[in-house]
Amino acid sequence: MKYHVVTLGCQMNMSDSERVISVLEEAGYQWTDNEEEAGVIGILACSVRQKAIDKVYSRIHKWNKWKNNKNLVTFISGCILPDDHEKFLKLFDITFQMKDLPELPKMISSYGITTPTHLNVGIDPHNENIEDFWNVQPHYQSNFEAFIPIQNGCDKFCTYCAVPYTRGREVSRPSKDIIAEVALLVAQGYKSITLLGQNVNSYGLDKKGEELTFPQLLREIGELGKRMKKEFWLYFTSPHPRDMTDEVIEVIAEYPVLGKQIHLPMQSGDDKVLMRMNRKHNMEKYRHIVETIRRIIPQATLFTDVIVGFTGETEEQFENTRKAFDEFKFNMSYTAIYSPRPGATSHRWVDDVPLEEKKRRLHQLTEDLRKHNLPYNESLVGQTVRILVRGEDRKEGFLTSYTEGKLTIRFACTDKSMIGQFADVKITSASDFSLEGELVEVAASC
Amino acid sequence: MKKHKVTQVRHLTDSTFVIRFERNGMEFQTGQFVLLGTKGAVDRREYSIYSGENDDYLEVLVREVDGGKVSSKLKKLKAGDLVDVDGPFGFFKFDPQSFQVQQFLFIATGTGISPFHGFVKTHPQLNYKMIHGVRKVEEAYDHDDFNKERVTLCTSGEKGGDFDGRVTEFLKTETIDENTNCFLCGNSEMIYEVFDILSEKGIPTSNIYTEVYF
Repeated sequence: MKYHVVTLGCQMNMSDSERVISVLEEAGYQWTDNEEEAGVIGILACSVRQKAIDKVYSRIHKWNKWKNNKNLVTFISGCILPDDHEKFLKLFDITFQMKDLPELPKMISSYGITTPTHLNVGIDPHNENIEDFWNVQPHYQSNFEAFIPIQNGCDKFCTYCAVPYTRGREVSRPSKDIIAEVALLVAQGYKSITLLGQNVNSYGLDKKGEELTFPQLLREIGELGKRMKKEFWLYFTSPHPRDMTDEVIEVIAEYPVLGKQIHLPMQSGDDKVLMRMNRKHNMEKYRHIVETIRRIIPQATLFTDVIVGFTGETEEQFENTRKAFDEFKFNMSYTAIYSPRPGATSHRWVDDVPLEEKKRRLHQLTEDLRKHNLPYNESLVGQTVRILVRGEDRKEGFLTSYTEGKLTIRFACTDKSMIGQFADVKITSASDFSLEGELVEVAASC
Repeated sequence: MKKHKVTQVRHLTDSTFVIRFERNGMEFQTGQFVLLGTKGAVDRREYSIYSGENDDYLEVLVREVDGGKVSSKLKKLKAGDLVDVDGPFGFFKFDPQSFQVQQFLFIATGTGISPFHGFVKTHPQLNYKMIHGVRKVEEAYDHDDFNKERVTLCTSGEKGGDFDGRVTEFLKTETIDENTNCFLCGNSEMIYEVFDILSEKGIPTSNIYTEVYF
């Protein structure tokens, strides 16, 4: 039977979908790109924005209409708020949490035989059986880049976010399994590996004394890299400034395989907005982390996440975020316009910054980022850097790649066999958000 | 998430009450909160733990919110009912031994007194002062559990407290040793203002700890 899975949302969902696909393939189902051909269709939902939830409703109404003409089993998992879960019980044939993924084929084969209550599992905020999910060998979507989940859930309760209510409590995956997955991927030739978690650097805190801490986990992977003598870059996302210790930064500096790119969500440059967001870090703490990164790993690039127009954000508070951009000179900012997320605490508050003003603030920060990026990128012109080739560039005759610091570089080459390989590139020109270079050793086929 | 049996509901005012339920072995550090809802309900809310670390029960202080999905249901609870409890969570943990200078100022508005009630029940010998801002005198929740000499009740809606006016107005008149560790709990507006006042008085931000009630 053919199946199709729709994945909405973040890298965590993308990573989860690799395991869902694996379980279905193992059970003998065959993937189809065409939804209409499928006998089993699933969706990995995202509750971050109402738009994503609206997509779920529009899809299931369409699929349920198809049931008039064909046999079709539908399932849903992913980030689902309790309120929506109640509604999905009536709309989908099967609902389950990721920790119950290994049971999915059984649920599908039981459909129509057993009662619906057996196929619709309630939301349990505790992820006690999540290891069964992690033990599923994923069907990686790339043969050189991979994501490895190292924890699930979140205990931070930021007021703009619903994850603690959709993914439940923070649970750390056993370190031996993480390290084994890294080793397997490296042995298979993977070049870029990203450890994933909602608060990746609070890894191990739920099993204090029984499990490695996050810097200890990084150190183990660094040692593994030394032993395996294979070139790869290991990243992690997203860390929380509250749990970002000097030790994490020191370990990154110590091991060549630990990518010198740090993604450190700031969310706002104003202490009062951070309090209202319930972020549990302030600018003093954030500044200390950035100063430590600059001192210990001066070559590291720094990425961040920012929300503009959060409830109650004044012009002065927004200006503090701009000042932080001036101070920290981020290489990249994933800046989002605030929109109330159903299920999050801030959804109960008046969304009082007008959309036009939010757009202006977004545009302003993008301009600020551009202003800081250009001189940084220009300073790299003439340097030879190591790159990982990722695919064809939009510009014909060029391939696209990124540096260890995840700066995008394109270079003239048409040899697609280079995709997924490391190479050296001399940077020839720079713009605000990308670089251009030429291969140091040009393959004959380029 | 576990089910805990309610053993007592104590109404302090028309809208505010303390729910006591079985502890069932839950370990926590004073200052943390739990997610609480009626049995099987979809919605739950965060409540600071009101009882002390050494009590053999758990308590939370709840104010009924107009149109609130959770608090109005909690208000109807009675002894013997079950509640869904998840936790503990949070980073407003309090251990006086971890401070070099064990001199504390607690500033609360309304039910923001809840974690401080837990602090004092857990550490009765504490060297503290507390400023509690409310609208009416009747909102001086369980002040008998505190040392009266150490507490200033600020009432903004009527006379009869120790100070007629808001916490922020009182605070401006006070001299505070810059080594004092200041803990703030309540609505965000109060916390913003108090944060600024304390900073102006020379208290380093590293000595200011906040728990915003939303």
